[in-house]
Amino acid sequence: MNNITIVVADASYLIQKGLGAILKKLGDNQLIQKMDKAEGLIENLNSLKPNILILNPDFFDDDFELVIKECAKLDNCKLVILSNNKSDEAKYVADAFLHYNDDQSKIFSCLESLKDELIKTGKNEKSDEPISAREKNILKHIALGLTNKEIADQLFISIHTVVTHRKNITQKLGIKSVSGLTVYAILNNLIAMDEVK
Amino acid sequence: MCNLNHQTKTKDSMRITKDMKMADVIQMNYMLIPVIYRFGINLGFGDQTVKEICAETSVDLNFFLQLVNTYHDKDYFPKEELQSIPSKDIVTYLKMTHSSYLNEKLSEIENLIEALQHTEKEDEKYILLIRNFYEGYKNELTEHIMHEEEVVFPYVLAVEEICKEGVISDKNRKIYDSFSILKYQDAHDDVEEKLMDLKTIMIKYLTPPLNTSLYHKIIQLLFMLEQDLSYHSRIEDKVLLPKMIAMEKIISELN
Repeated sequence: MNNITIVVADASYLIQKGLGAILKKLGDNQLIQKMDKAEGLIENLNSLKPNILILNPDFFDDDFELVIKECAKLDNCKLVILSNNKSDEAKYVADAFLHYNDDQSKIFSCLESLKDELIKTGKNEKSDEPISAREKNILKHIALGLTNKEIADQLFISIHTVVTHRKNITQKLGIKSVSGLTVYAILNNLIAMDEVK
Repeated sequence: MCNLNHQTKTKDSMRITKDMKMADVIQMNYMLIPVIYRFGINLGFGDQTVKEICAETSVDLNFFLQLVNTYHDKDYFPKEELQSIPSKDIVTYLKMTHSSYLNEKLSEIENLIEALQHTEKEDEKYILLIRNFYEGYKNELTEHIMHEEEVVFPYVLAVEEICKEGVISDKNRKIYDSFSILKYQDAHDDVEEKLMDLKTIMIKYLTPPLNTSLYHKIIQLLFMLEQDLSYHSRIEDKVLLPKMIAMEKIISELN
């Protein structure tokens, strides 16, 4: 999974900061959004696209059930209920529960197992695979300075297919710019240095 | 041991205040040396405090504190307070950072890549690739900076003057009509992309040359440049840009 977005919603500054610090230890490739106001959370869920949502029920007065329902509609999102109240566990349905007095290992194992589940279900995971022969061929054409349209014409495929291949190549290699891809192509002998225009 | 560890941690994220000694600020975070230098503050400050030095070099204390804390703690970003700083001061600071990129940082890295090329006979071809790529990046960044200096900043200053005076002089009218801050958005992405690609290629795909210490130094400098640039563009995008949007709105109501 390239990026995990975690949204933390708790009114307490201490909890927010503390949880933020703990979450950072889980790995680098994640975006943590902290919210200290309940308003706007539901409206923003679609644009935030959280993978893990950590919420405190006390934060939401009466509309918490609604928040849970909205969360269930999101793809690839795990809901964690954070509270100071053990009885919340029986009251709500969620992927996991965290309590204020949980110890370090409990919190880590809870979050790490959620992360593992997310990685398993994330179908778009491509970053570790090597690029395919087909993609190498496309990459060669990109490096030669051809436009998407020219590549499509030469290889008898649609522009849309070229764009998809390009996206996958960029994702797998971690290189975005054309000049970066060109360097990669030369380093891997897909094209010769003097072929570059 | 445990205690010591704890101590360094608190020190790391300690906020910088006006009564601290400037020397202690630098002891705490040496990455701030170039930052304070951009304010015209140089080393050798003895026991003077932040407040004293700012007064002496006529640097706005509030702006200085907000800015060094922003660099010092990446979670600290006092957007509202930074937005209350006059654009003129922000622009002066940004110009100083620009000149440090153009006159120092960019050529420093370039010289090291060049030196690497000379020490490596066998891998010369690959180093040349890196060099060309870096040249391309450098040109793009320079162009971006020149655009800001020649078009964006004069516009920012004109807009601020119009807002302050409530009237539009002929000179400002010309500048105001020639540009809009909306044209400025998203301009940073491309340049950042190239720098990230360069790092990725050097870390993941290039067989390291024999002169590893030089090679490592180049990569470390690229990381530092990237970090510096990200703080720089954060001020442009999160402070200057919203300020301009708000002022443009005021001016459009003036008309």
